[in-house]
Amino acid sequence: MSLSLRDMLKSNSLLSGTSACPGCPENMAMRMVGMALGNDVALIVIAGCSSVIQGLAPKNSYNFPVLNIAFAAGPPAASGMWRAYRQRNKNTTVVVWAGDGGTADIGFASLSGAAERNENFIYICVDNEAYMNSGGQRSGSTPFGAYTSTTPEGKKENKKEIMFIMMDHNIPYLATASVGYPHDFVNKLRKAKQIFGFKYVQVLTPDPYGWMFDPSKTVEVGKLAVQTCYWPLIEYENGKLTVSPESLHCLEKSTRRPLKDFLQIQGRFKRITEKEYKALENYVDSMWDKIKKLIE
Amino acid sequence: MKIISGNEAVALAVKLARVGVVGIYPITPQTSIIEKLAEMKANGELDADIVRVESEHAAMASTFGAAIAGVRAFTATASQGLLYMHEMTWWVAGSRVPVVMVVATRAVGAPWNIWDENTDFMSERDSGWLMAFASNPQEALDLTLQAFRISEDERVYLPMMVGMDGFILSHMKTNVIIPSQDEVDLFLPPRKQPFVLDSESPVGMGNIFPPIEYMKLRHSIHEAILHSEEVIREVGMEYQKITGINNYSTLNVKYKLDDADYAVVLMGAWAGDAMEAIDELRKQGLSVGLYRIRYIRPWSEEEITSALKDKKAILVIDRATSMGRGGPLYLELKSTLHHEQMCGVVSGLGGVLLNKGDFKEIISRFVERAKKGNAKGVTWYYPKGGEKVELKSPRYVEE
Repeated sequence: MSLSLRDMLKSNSLLSGTSACPGCPENMAMRMVGMALGNDVALIVIAGCSSVIQGLAPKNSYNFPVLNIAFAAGPPAASGMWRAYRQRNKNTTVVVWAGDGGTADIGFASLSGAAERNENFIYICVDNEAYMNSGGQRSGSTPFGAYTSTTPEGKKENKKEIMFIMMDHNIPYLATASVGYPHDFVNKLRKAKQIFGFKYVQVLTPDPYGWMFDPSKTVEVGKLAVQTCYWPLIEYENGKLTVSPESLHCLEKSTRRPLKDFLQIQGRFKRITEKEYKALENYVDSMWDKIKKLIE
Repeated sequence: MKIISGNEAVALAVKLARVGVVGIYPITPQTSIIEKLAEMKANGELDADIVRVESEHAAMASTFGAAIAGVRAFTATASQGLLYMHEMTWWVAGSRVPVVMVVATRAVGAPWNIWDENTDFMSERDSGWLMAFASNPQEALDLTLQAFRISEDERVYLPMMVGMDGFILSHMKTNVIIPSQDEVDLFLPPRKQPFVLDSESPVGMGNIFPPIEYMKLRHSIHEAILHSEEVIREVGMEYQKITGINNYSTLNVKYKLDDADYAVVLMGAWAGDAMEAIDELRKQGLSVGLYRIRYIRPWSEEEITSALKDKKAILVIDRATSMGRGGPLYLELKSTLHHEQMCGVVSGLGGVLLNKGDFKEIISRFVERAKKGNAKGVTWYYPKGGEKVELKSPRYVEE
């Protein structure tokens, strides 16, 4: 697949004038969505940063038809929408764009319901690992040890592994991605578009403000998450799990980049103890053990 | 003409209206509507696509998604289900998108109770939906069909819900005249809506409105509800002309009212018992008549005022509560009319059944009080006495 600066410039999914913060990974991801899916797209945005980023009505910086909607309503609204398009003989790609809180917490039942029914749309979980739009409160997707405004002592529980739960729904396609690796993300979205049924894509979107790093380093943090194997890039298709090239080195513990490199660049892990660091390392190890078992 | 239940009548209306997508989730006593639709779909009698969602919140959201994408959409619910989708009913109204829902009313927990009460339905008064309430299965069918046309009228462009008493109408079978498909096609033109979410004309819907714009939108919903009154009368007369069924030239319905000194106001299925009671009381020389509210929203100040302004006293009977204030119909009437003598009765909650005798008792008591100039305030009526309620913990059960 070719993906160059020219493609980037040609993508007009994101217009100027968004109200995103500097270094916002969601804008990067949205631009990639446009590159991957083209123009025949209807986008459902559930409550989150993107409800604000697109700007004030009547203007909108997302150059798609956009339906904004309350938290848990994204997957069912998409279910009704693609069926309506089918009734009207239209082949529009329906996309739900949801944050990790809307996915792992308040919207989880409706996500699970739509997946079980194998509804024909792409669900993109934009995972910045907390309720960033309301100022950075913990979600089910916040990792162990991370500071958030509702876990000032550091979160005591591990990140909810939604990708595994979604795999157990036996959906036709699932992938994870990181804004640090646009080729990988765009490729996966393009593949998702070709498949009928429920597609789940979770993209890691490091947030400079919630994660406390310099806004110039969003891409770098997105890469470090993958290189240190904190965030696995995987694909699940027809019941088969594969590890994407950028994450293949994670299959062996000895070739993984130290987790410290990912944690140290962020302020949210600043206060974790050595013991907590070990616990996080163990979490990463057990996640990869699980992945290895699944690909065997 | 067929002998069918209210729920079957609604399912037939949905089929006749050529609905595109139905979002369904079971809850008693509405369930047989969606079962009937699923059965019709399985038999190839229904073109609509059915989304069998995982909650009522999703039922309303899927119906909304389909409506926004340009097809006629329907759902049905009751009680806890209506409360669970409350967030989405507001979202749909705020989006000014035509959607139709039927509510087979039922009490709200705690404690569990599956029987009829209208509080679930009445609690949606502020959501921005048009709200009609049927008093027999025929009306449930007629109002559901009319709801599609009313909500898709460009002077309205709002969702509309049709209520009917759970079990009493939803499950009771009566003679229902079913209009033919040709008649309905003539009555119901192809769908119209203010915006269709379409990749050909990208519009953004529901992103943040600045304060003034938000307020103007809310104001537009208010105005649309006011304007819907004339649309409802037009549509009602058109329906009558095409199908020859019933009288829909007014929003609300009078029964032996014009020459009566005293008026009884209520809504729903028990209007039948009340009418029988009034027939007998009139024979006994009591000058009473009935005014049945069919539309909660719009609330026809004009019709209500002209029907009731000259009455000596008014009795409002609610099968619903606004806790600490009586019943919602009573409060609505209080804000419309300024009678010295207006009183409210709350009864029939959680399936408490009232018969003709109870209505005779309630109404004659009211007339007696009115003659003494004392028909004021709200009372709770229990059949066969037993009004004394002790204030104990919720675990208390009367021996």
